Amino acid sequence: MNMKYKGEMRTITGNAAAAYGAMLCRPDVVALYPITPQTEVVEQLSRFSADGLLDAEMVEVEGENSAMNIVAAAAISGGRVFTASSSWGLAFMYDALLQTSGFRAPVVMVNVNREMPGILAVSTGQQDMIGTRDVGWIQIIAEDCQEILDLVIMAYRLAEDFDIQVPVMVNYDGFYLSYLSEGVNIPAREEVDVFLAPLKEQPERPKLVPGGPLGCGTHGIEKGFVELRYKHCAAMERAKNKFDEIDRLFGESFERSYGGQIEEYYMEDAEIALLASGSASGTVKKVIDSKRKHGLKIGLVKLRMFRPFPSERLSRAFRGKKAIGVIDRSICFGWDCGPIYMELRALSSEIGLIPMMSFIDGLANMDISIVHIERMIDSVYAASQGKPYQRVNWVILEE
Amino acid sequence: MVKIKIHTKYEGAWSNADELLLCLDTGSWRTERPVMDEEKCNYCGLCALYCPTQCMIDMEDQFVPNLDFCKGCGICAKECPRKAIRMLPEGEF
Repeated sequence: MNMKYKGEMRTITGNAAAAYGAMLCRPDVVALYPITPQTEVVEQLSRFSADGLLDAEMVEVEGENSAMNIVAAAAISGGRVFTASSSWGLAFMYDALLQTSGFRAPVVMVNVNREMPGILAVSTGQQDMIGTRDVGWIQIIAEDCQEILDLVIMAYRLAEDFDIQVPVMVNYDGFYLSYLSEGVNIPAREEVDVFLAPLKEQPERPKLVPGGPLGCGTHGIEKGFVELRYKHCAAMERAKNKFDEIDRLFGESFERSYGGQIEEYYMEDAEIALLASGSASGTVKKVIDSKRKHGLKIGLVKLRMFRPFPSERLSRAFRGKKAIGVIDRSICFGWDCGPIYMELRALSSEIGLIPMMSFIDGLANMDISIVHIERMIDSVYAASQGKPYQRVNWVILEE
Repeated sequence: MVKIKIHTKYEGAWSNADELLLCLDTGSWRTERPVMDEEKCNYCGLCALYCPTQCMIDMEDQFVPNLDFCKGCGICAKECPRKAIRMLPEGEF
């Protein structure tokens, strides 16, 4: 369809951007339970519903576990669904997350990244997302408010694609993005309708019908179980290229495109590189701009997709570099490093045996500041020159 | 590359009662087998109603268990009001 992209600029928070994204996709069932820093998503969607902008069944739930179970059931009954949570809430729906992905229910949810118990940190950190990395969900990460809105729309294309049918979790940093007001281009409803229209042209996915012969999740031991796991893994692999393709199609429709699984910033001629994700990526880009002015050939890879892990594209992007630093906003207990660092290390044989450094920074609302990033870049550069380096660096605690 | 054998057409954990509900080899779990006494059976259907694997086949004058799926739980024998079903050890067959 040929029409000039319209959209409307408004200054809204990251939470409102998520709510706008969901509202524009016309979900049938929305079940939400409030939790800091996600509460505004609940408020905003309730307001849309009261104003008649959102024609969805809004379910008031007694907790996150019910929220996820309700949207999963609605999704396998053929509906389009949305929910949102964070931190403790995500932990409280852990079994339901597994159930949902096992059903291959195309649920789209927003997870506003926050630190995890048992230190009562009402503050940002990716530990909640990391804690659910093996629940079989697709996990994608936004850098700014615009990307939150766009990713929610793309998430429906991905989750409900007949070749994928895997739930998608859109992550963005709590506090840093949830409450940050930015200019966001809000697409017109009919443009989003057009973008999502191909989902209606594909074969219909099986659904629960009362009295019908189909059941879901009731069988599956021995070979049946293994076969479902095998298919789930295969779908996760397909999701990588599919996400790249959806990102490209989104660019054609809305004039915004982000690079798919990863965004590469000055990577072609970079000699050293950083890997970062989420809101900190913007600060890293600023520092790279100034370092480049001083002649340092440094690049950034922004991780946009964490599950499935973009192993092929990361290997290609980092091959031939002299040293890499990975910024993690969470901990990998038991490996004494950041989780994204640990996963990148698994690609060592593809990338090459070069110095890889883990930087643990930005936990519990600590800023991943320009000063911190400059220090990281300096030590990655020193490592690339053959100088001794420290593998794991707790940047926040350094004197 | 090793070929993979796929059993169901569904991506998710769907089971279709019309085709693949009884897809497990539950018959192999059985240590006791229900044996029907045709004389005593009055075709009331309680055994079929209570059967957890729903494997009782309706023969129009009586019910007989489908031994591919009967896991030998004995509920049919327990529930039969006319004691027309006995559970016999598998070793005897």
